[in-house]
Amino acid sequence: MKASTRLFGDIDIEDDKILILENGIIGFPDMKKFTLIYDNESGNQQSIIWLQSMDEPHFAMPVLSPSLVKPDYNPMVNDDLLTPLGEFNNEDLVVLVTLKVPANAKDMTVNLKAPIIINYANKKGAQIIVENEDYPVRYPIYDILQSIKEEANK
Amino acid sequence: MLALSRKKGESLIINNNIEVMILETHGDQVKIGISAPKEVPIYRKEVYLQIQKENEEAGVTDRLAEINSLLSGRKKADDQKKN
Repeated sequence: MKASTRLFGDIDIEDDKILILENGIIGFPDMKKFTLIYDNESGNQQSIIWLQSMDEPHFAMPVLSPSLVKPDYNPMVNDDLLTPLGEFNNEDLVVLVTLKVPANAKDMTVNLKAPIIINYANKKGAQIIVENEDYPVRYPIYDILQSIKEEANK
Repeated sequence: MLALSRKKGESLIINNNIEVMILETHGDQVKIGISAPKEVPIYRKEVYLQIQKENEEAGVTDRLAEINSLLSGRKKADDQKKN
């Protein structure tokens, strides 16, 4: 499937790399097809991933594994909300949190309240609002990332 | 917007498969029960709008290089060179 993306130019994605979010992402129900684009240059497994919309080429959301910035992340989810994933084994599920970087990078946050959950076995996914009341929509991570980098540079 | 008056214990049926029932009222607070097929997402509107806004702001960024460098350590190394 081809798309002319704003950030990555023309891309051609194999069908088995297309993710189907049948309800779209929250607020954008018409965006149903996505793919994950990895930043290969850094050579770092634990890096930013881009959730690129195949329906809206201008839309690409940076996402990352919550284990990086919130190691004890343990989202509580109403099982009914996982219906879009089809039948799944827990080990096939990938959880990603969305990253927002405002003009001042120090204000960057991840959304712990509404992670993207993907069933890698069938490539179906959904953005789910979790029940954890202490998980904010805007969780600041700048300081956390700085300390990760400082550790890495030691 | 369609406006209908309902009493406690009364319901509405939407689209043959969604039932909305008034369970309790306490002053200006109303407790609502919703029976809908599992695949129908239901959100508190203020939460929905907040997450919609986050998604929109996250998804239109053009700061590719800057964001890619966030975790790579390269930016930090550059900063140190300047010092």
